[in-house]
Amino acid sequence: MEKLLKNKTAIILFMAPTLILFTAILLVPIATSFYYSLCDYDKATRAYSFIGFDNFSKLLKDPIFWISIKNSLFFLVFSCVSQLIFGLLYAALLTNIKKGRNFFKNTIYMPCVLSSAALGLLWAFVFHAKVGINTLLAGIGIKGPGWLYDIKGFITLPMWVIAFVALWQYVGQSMMLYMAQISGINKSLYEASYIDGATKTKAFWYITLPLIKPMVGTAMSLNAIGSLKFFDLIYSMLGDKTTNLKMDVLATFLYRSGFSSKGGNHYGYASAIGVVLVALCLISTFVINKVFKTENYEM
Amino acid sequence: MKKLLAVVLAVAMLLGMVSIASADDVQEITWMFWDDLEASSDLITQGFKQVIDRFNADYAGKYHVTPITTQLEPYYTDLNALVDAQKTPDVFIVSPGPNLTDYVAPGIAAPLDEYLEADGWKDTFAGDAVFAQQTYDGKIYAIPLNTAAACVFYNREIFDAAGATVPTTYTELLDACEKIKAYGKTPITISAGTAWCLSMLAGYLCDREGVDLKALNANEASWVNEKTIAAGEKLVELSQYFQETAAGDSNDDATTALYMEDAAILIQGSWAIGQMNGGNPDFEAKCGVFQFPAIEGGNDPNRVIAKSDSLAMSSTTKYPEACIALMKYFTDDIAQKYTAEVGGKIPVTKVEYDADKAPAQLADVMKIFGAASATFGFYNESLVSSDAGSYFDDQMVAMFQKEKTPEQAFQAVQDWYQDYFAKQAEKAE
Repeated sequence: MEKLLKNKTAIILFMAPTLILFTAILLVPIATSFYYSLCDYDKATRAYSFIGFDNFSKLLKDPIFWISIKNSLFFLVFSCVSQLIFGLLYAALLTNIKKGRNFFKNTIYMPCVLSSAALGLLWAFVFHAKVGINTLLAGIGIKGPGWLYDIKGFITLPMWVIAFVALWQYVGQSMMLYMAQISGINKSLYEASYIDGATKTKAFWYITLPLIKPMVGTAMSLNAIGSLKFFDLIYSMLGDKTTNLKMDVLATFLYRSGFSSKGGNHYGYASAIGVVLVALCLISTFVINKVFKTENYEM
Repeated sequence: MKKLLAVVLAVAMLLGMVSIASADDVQEITWMFWDDLEASSDLITQGFKQVIDRFNADYAGKYHVTPITTQLEPYYTDLNALVDAQKTPDVFIVSPGPNLTDYVAPGIAAPLDEYLEADGWKDTFAGDAVFAQQTYDGKIYAIPLNTAAACVFYNREIFDAAGATVPTTYTELLDACEKIKAYGKTPITISAGTAWCLSMLAGYLCDREGVDLKALNANEASWVNEKTIAAGEKLVELSQYFQETAAGDSNDDATTALYMEDAAILIQGSWAIGQMNGGNPDFEAKCGVFQFPAIEGGNDPNRVIAKSDSLAMSSTTKYPEACIALMKYFTDDIAQKYTAEVGGKIPVTKVEYDADKAPAQLADVMKIFGAASATFGFYNESLVSSDAGSYFDDQMVAMFQKEKTPEQAFQAVQDWYQDYFAKQAEKAE
């Protein structure tokens, strides 16, 4: 085996399929998108023409772009913070209970494996103005708010609603990551701490938290990228209404500019939004990795 | 035994080849439409399904059409995706105006004149005027299937109970809304969630005020003028009578509110007749129709927004004969009679239909259409491009949501136009 690993030809041969696939399905599309972001697509002739950085300067002047940035950053912060808190809470609780652990684990994780489009439609019914929650509220004499169309405030009500639905859907993923890390912690560390008089809370604070810090970084990076790319739930809950309801995020803005019936077919402009999206994903991952940079401990 | 086996295998192979050859003989085409043929309760959609079934049965072994169905809102998105993937449907439905232009200008839609002229097909249509919106540089690029007029549908029972009368002027409309509101019903149901619905009302108000769209589209006038601002102010004024959920309601939600008798007035195209009568057959007898009211001191009040569904043929289709045969099925007497008698839309051919069989609302729509001094298109489909239409829709919604004043909203449209014309000038250079 060692001999094989020293053979450069063998290394290249083993790595080649992955490298080719990685290049073909990731690097080439990213490079192509970047090129298209410097072009204008003419609907009439269906041809691209090079326009330099015009799409980017147009983006900076577009109010919908800034609404999309604001909403995307809101989802990023909300998702990172809420999933850290609830994911960790569920993980800590479930690793400490013996009865029903699998039941709760599967129940909390289940929405993760369901289709976001189907869940979006389901929740759209729940929060529909004339059915769902508002009907129940009306039954007890309370007038429900416009869950999915009230546009008052800096962060609108539909944003909060969708953020909570996303939390409900994806918290199981964070919980699983934290549970995997917590169950890898050597039990003798806890036993030693209890002998020294530590309470369960102190043990969690001084043993569990520091030891799962690398996983917090990983989970947060995944949450950050996922929330920046967030599209399916928003689109299935709001459809083409995102712009009129000031609910655009970068991904819906990209979709609308590139593919929607409403103002679509601007592939160059949509590619520019895509480039911004990739840049934001890279920046947020870099920042999170810097903040949560840790030594690896022997557990 | 071996010989017998060889003979059996040879026969089986020959039969297989024959069946493959006969399968190859069938000209397979696709037809794309914006509603679900199987699930929709819309009567026009059900009529289209009958056309497809009839075509496939009559031409079995020669032509076969496979429908590609989607929903109305993502329709052009899906169609564009197929076009860009070089898989343009052989025949596809399209709205006239900038939407059709998007397929005519790059050569995606084929001219149809030679087929229309070939065997007197064109003579079956009500007149050359039905092709006006489908004609570019003297060539016809799409076949109209029906015409619909945008009117005001209302619930007679609610009007009577509220003591409201059918309004002929804007002031009378406000008075009727006030009475209906006092009676405890929602006066007007409209969708701002589906922006074109609100935009249609804005278009009517602009036209009644006398906005000169031709001058605007020729860059000879500004969108910020007394007439557009007055139209915008009236839109905001009317919005106090909309249902509370108008901002988030879809077109279906808004239409349902009328035929389920939660609201009294719906400003909508006559294509909604099929949906209303399909959704609640009891509503047909209660539903009245009137022309969009005049604005005192404004433009000609007999102008009506008209729209047609049209079929275009892909310029890259392998089987134009099959496509034309399909289009003819949509405009034959059976389909056109259905259009009027069941669907409640205005036929585009000279077909004679039984007015007694047609939905009650169609007679009222025909009266309005017959008395119309002129027709005009949806504003969002009559601007310089489909993008301009989208932008106009968004500004009307922003104005309704009080995010922008009428001045700000129309200034935004004006800025968009200036940018557009500047780019056009750059390209021309």
